[in-house]
Amino acid sequence: MTDGWNIVVCVKQVPDADEVSIDPETGILNRADAEAVMNSPDYNAVEAALEVRDVVGGTVTAVTMGPASADEVLQVAVGMGADNAVLLTDRAFGGSDTWPTSLALARAAEELDADVVFGGEETTDSSTGQVPPGIAAHNDWAQLTYVEGLEPRPEEDRLVAKRDVEGGYERVAADLPVVVAMEFGENEPRTAGLHRKIYAETDFEPVEWSAADIGVEDEVGLAVSPTQVGGMATAEPVPREQEMVEGVEELADHIVEVL
Amino acid sequence: MAAGADADTAADVEAHSDVWVFVEQHAGDVAGVTWELLGKGRELADQKDEDLVALVMGEAVRETDIPEEAIARGADRVLVADDPAFEPYRADPYGEQFRHLVEVRKPDIALIGGTHTGRDFAGRVAVPTHAGLTADTTELEITDEQYEMRRPAFGGDALATIICPNHRPQMSTVRPGVFDAPEPDESQEGAVEDVEVVVGEDETLTEVLEREVGDVADITDAEIVVAGGMGLEGDVDPLWDLADLLGGEVAATREVVEEGWIEPARQVGQTGKTVRPKLYIAVGISGAIQHVEGMDDSETVIAINNDANAPIFENADYGIVADYADVLPELIEILRERLDAQEVTA
Ligand SMILES: Cc1cc2nc3c(=O)[nH]c(=O)nc-3n(C[C@H](O)[C@H](O)[C@H](O)COP(=O)(O)OP(=O)(O)OC[C@H]3O[C@@H](n4cnc5c(N)ncnc54)[C@H](O)[C@@H]3O)c2cc1C
Ligand SMILES: Nc1ncnc2c1ncn2[C@@H]1O[C@H](COP(=O)(O)O)[C@@H](O)[C@H]1O
Repeated sequence: MTDGWNIVVCVKQVPDADEVSIDPETGILNRADAEAVMNSPDYNAVEAALEVRDVVGGTVTAVTMGPASADEVLQVAVGMGADNAVLLTDRAFGGSDTWPTSLALARAAEELDADVVFGGEETTDSSTGQVPPGIAAHNDWAQLTYVEGLEPRPEEDRLVAKRDVEGGYERVAADLPVVVAMEFGENEPRTAGLHRKIYAETDFEPVEWSAADIGVEDEVGLAVSPTQVGGMATAEPVPREQEMVEGVEELADHIVEVL
Repeated sequence: MAAGADADTAADVEAHSDVWVFVEQHAGDVAGVTWELLGKGRELADQKDEDLVALVMGEAVRETDIPEEAIARGADRVLVADDPAFEPYRADPYGEQFRHLVEVRKPDIALIGGTHTGRDFAGRVAVPTHAGLTADTTELEITDEQYEMRRPAFGGDALATIICPNHRPQMSTVRPGVFDAPEPDESQEGAVEDVEVVVGEDETLTEVLEREVGDVADITDAEIVVAGGMGLEGDVDPLWDLADLLGGEVAATREVVEEGWIEPARQVGQTGKTVRPKLYIAVGISGAIQHVEGMDDSETVIAINNDANAPIFENADYGIVADYADVLPELIEILRERLDAQEVTA
């Protein structure tokens, strides 16, 4: 392939993890106050996508599924250097668990004729890590998760990844198309250049697709989601003494007590 | 296998029975979480009055003692899929084989370790079978009405109950260290069955070029854990000294693991292990929610941090605001003297 790879990167808008709080009185999760930001592991996904494009050539398209306001995370990706962006937005997507979410992203990736799809390790709000393998499964494509580094092999139509496995690592070669979930923190995401950032936030417009545009209008949303949230409880804080000690002797006392 | 086509077909719930546990093994070494899941799976199967089924995949696993050990740890039946395609592990053949067995044999519940391996392939089973998959479960319970899978949400601030009323199997990945592993009981009886292998090298999408795995530390059973954070700035030797002295294990935050100062198998937290020791000593750890989630079941927590406002102190029984470099050497010296003295009197 001389014209490079079609690279897709999936990014998600999440409430800023540091700002989500639980009302201690009511136990209700306070998400409204939290600023909406790009899921932090997705910065590693965007960086990896750009690095592969820089080596192989081609284009990077950022994709998100979310409300209209989620175009903010597409602006972040474009600011960092993504060429295009697609916003999957439709009321029909509401209530989707990972099964339809990964279906919608899988269909978008097919539509974009993707060679490689990047995702983050997990999101800070739902933290399942299931979406990238779900995309691969829906399309019957290869997958590489917990990826620490990549060696693109365009001449073989393959992508080789170093993956983190329990107790070590492995190097795996995958046939294209392939879905890659980058391990969080494995690269240094670039910061957006000033001009690019201004362009992303002012002139740039993402393409918008509805559920029907990607042919999934009957296959998304709450009704086809196998899992449902049956309840949400405030995690009871574990009661702790919270006693501050003055000296190391006293600290040693408490340790010996336990032993 | 295009899964989308039958998206609106909910499962025939009544046709599904039994509790399945995935036996994760690499080159004959079984991941500890497997036995933990058999323990929990036994409870669930007894409550449902159904079988507990262990599923082993690998090359020449039939000849190992893994199937027998699964029975000794509670399985009624062991399904063995034996083929070179399953060693070393790859997501596509594992997912495809598991999918096939799920479709043919229709389990009601399936438990998979929340390791990189389990979390890698579970979706390749859940997507084509349209099963409900709950990630990183920490509690599993059959109530009067339904099967409930609970998992931390929002970085551990909340506990979400996930239900799966209309789809089968009800699958979860479960973080290592959450449940107790039953001791093997050789008198237990069970059946081992070879199953049809439906994958072959021709259809695989991936090829493992190289695999480097050393000894994998297991910190989940430790009675004493000495954990270090970024406050140590890489100076981890005193952690090992203290852990050795107390007969405990060393653990770390994710940041420390990323720096390469301590091996990944020792990471505690949301994306690492859950530990439940009698004593957890947190040194130079800020106490981020993602970390606390993995150590919050410790009986006693001691924190050493030079910032009085570090959140770790809210999650500790005893804390000292001080530089670790001053505290640890002195602490080790005092403890050594006291432990020696105890030994003399004992
Ligand atoms: C999706 C996701 C998953 C994550 N999963 C995990 C996980 O599984 N486990 C995990 O641990 N983290 C996880 N994290 C990261 C987590 O949010 C924190 O960034 C991390 O736990 C912080 O590590 P730390 O406490 O070592 O470092 P820091 O937060 O940098 O804290 C260092 C502490 O050391 C103290 N200190 C500095 N100097 C000294 C000194 N001389 N003496 C004593 N104290 C000193 C400081 O006051 C500070 O409190 C995850 C994050 C995300 C986004
Ligand atoms: N709604 C979404 N839109 C785009 N990408 C997503 C979405 N949800 C999840 N992802 C991708 O999947 C990764 C893992 O998410 P999760 O499985 O939700 O933990 C994220 O880091 C994203 O790359």
